[in-house]
Amino acid sequence: MSELLEVQDLQTRFKVRKGYVYAVNGVSFRLEEGETLAVVGESGCGKSVTMLSLVRLLPPAGRIESGQVLLRGDDLLALDQRQLRDVRGGQVGMIFQDPMTSLNPFINIGTQMAEPLLYHRGMSKKDALARSAELLEMVGIPDGVARLREYPHQFSGGMRQRVMIAMAMSCEPSVLIADEPTTALDVTIQAQIVELVKELRDRSGVAVIWITHDLSVVAGIADRVIVMYAGYIVEEAPVDAIFEDPRHPYTVGLLGALPSLGGETGTRLTTIGGAPPDLAELPTFCPFHTRCPFVIDRCRSENPMLEPVSGASDRGHRAACWVDIRGVTEQTGGTVATEQ
Amino acid sequence: MTTQELSGPATFSTVEASRSNLWKDALARLAANRLAVVGIIPIILLFFIAIFGPYLTPYDFLAQDFTARLAPPSSVHWLGTDELGRDVFSRILYGARTAVSVGVISTVISLVVGIIMGSLAGYLGGRVDMMVVWLTDVTRSMPALLLAIVINLTLKVPLEAWLEQMYLQTKNTFFRQTMWVDLVLVFGALALIQWPGYARLIRGQILSIRSRNYVLAARALGMPTNRILTRYVIPNAMGPLIVAVSAGLGGAMVLESAFSFLGVGVQLPIPSWGKMISDGLRLWQTHSYLLVGPAAMMAIITVSFAWLGDGLNDALNPRQWKE
Repeated sequence: MSELLEVQDLQTRFKVRKGYVYAVNGVSFRLEEGETLAVVGESGCGKSVTMLSLVRLLPPAGRIESGQVLLRGDDLLALDQRQLRDVRGGQVGMIFQDPMTSLNPFINIGTQMAEPLLYHRGMSKKDALARSAELLEMVGIPDGVARLREYPHQFSGGMRQRVMIAMAMSCEPSVLIADEPTTALDVTIQAQIVELVKELRDRSGVAVIWITHDLSVVAGIADRVIVMYAGYIVEEAPVDAIFEDPRHPYTVGLLGALPSLGGETGTRLTTIGGAPPDLAELPTFCPFHTRCPFVIDRCRSENPMLEPVSGASDRGHRAACWVDIRGVTEQTGGTVATEQ
Repeated sequence: MTTQELSGPATFSTVEASRSNLWKDALARLAANRLAVVGIIPIILLFFIAIFGPYLTPYDFLAQDFTARLAPPSSVHWLGTDELGRDVFSRILYGARTAVSVGVISTVISLVVGIIMGSLAGYLGGRVDMMVVWLTDVTRSMPALLLAIVINLTLKVPLEAWLEQMYLQTKNTFFRQTMWVDLVLVFGALALIQWPGYARLIRGQILSIRSRNYVLAARALGMPTNRILTRYVIPNAMGPLIVAVSAGLGGAMVLESAFSFLGVGVQLPIPSWGKMISDGLRLWQTHSYLLVGPAAMMAIITVSFAWLGDGLNDALNPRQWKE
């Protein structure tokens, strides 16, 4: 596989009333052609901001301070607006969290779906509508021609997300960025959407970046996983290694918080105690140390870099932690993962 | 507007059948709204009279019948005659032309200014936004009538003097007509009073729509800004705007009447309902019919515009469509 996307040292911050919020702090990762990369982490850890930064869709208060986003060698952060629009929708498709509000209520589905085709592909209106009908059937909405005339409010949440996926895929992008696409949907629909994206990926060979905070979804779809915390990547590994051999205490905590069918009944789910740090300034310590059961003195004075872990099954397994947590007993002093 | 369109169930099925185009759908829904249909009829009549009124009137608006001064309503003069023996009915029909032209033109001017200023403020934000908001606040802090009087008093004399000078220099008879000075001043004053409302409305709409998900989704699909504005932002801002315009048209007509009533509006000989009310008021105890005609027209038109605006709002909002 060859390299499709390379993000280097991406930093994004938001201007707020008093100073800044450091949302993304030097994130670097790579995506191969046709690969599926999952980005996990709790709310506010910088997952979405990272992805919005890639195609410069940040809200006005947000600014990319440094970094490079190389898509097949072209730096997206250096493109002018025109070239950037060709990338958005053309080479990079995006789907968002809330399908209920992601479609323009005033335009019928057909006109809306035809827009990117008209714009990026220069199709005639008639061809674009015919293609849209095909796309609808491709994402599992039968009777596409008739449904093109309907308005978004006549579609359920799951169907709207299918429409969004069809639109994002309509110009055959090389990357599909899915920003928590299943979060707002109920569980059975979530599974259908995951299956749909897998099927489209296998058929078209599109690379997928799947943002989620649901690790159970990750297991089914991803090749590789990035775990983010406080605007940093804290662990990066192939999907099996994340589940079998997690090396960052935060990943361990996330996995521990998963409910499992084989678990004991009558016990409460494990949670990670405490809250993520305030990102009003860049931390000079490990941002996770206040919640970490493995904390040592060094964690409070130095922020660890993302480095390859020792004894890993895969060379791409990296973690940002001072402690080799295998076989280390929990230290006192830190906030221990509590049963609540 | 037929009776069939007024009946509920019949129209409902037509709504179901023709859901192919937003405007067609909206029209069908509007037709299903009784209050809006009742409101449309006087408005259509008003525009019809405004355009064709002069051909319909039994008398010229200036024609005086000295034998029948202050005549009560009769078969000859349907709504009677005024102090100078002019036919009140004819003057009301002519007055429709004044009301419509003042309402439409001043609304168009204030809309254009309001949309430009509001869009700039909403889309650019920052300094521009602060400037526009400040300007609207300043304008709105002044009482509308006071503003109109000040404009009229300060600009009318210099403007007429300038026209006179232009005529002397160019000998172009165009500059001899001073009648439209009044109209320009009235349009200007009305536009000045009304644009801040539209600007603030548009600004608020754009601020709210700009941050909606479908705009983000459209940007993520690579749509250019002008296309996002015309297809995503503006249509979604239209509902409240159409309602505001509809109410604003009625409001402008009432304001024009108020100006005329106070003597800072359209001057005779063009009949204006406000002026007629003002003239009629002096004689209302003995000749109340002079007051009833124009006042009733004002009331009917204002209410009609409000009903139509309400109906349009419901019709143009797909989210409120029943399944």
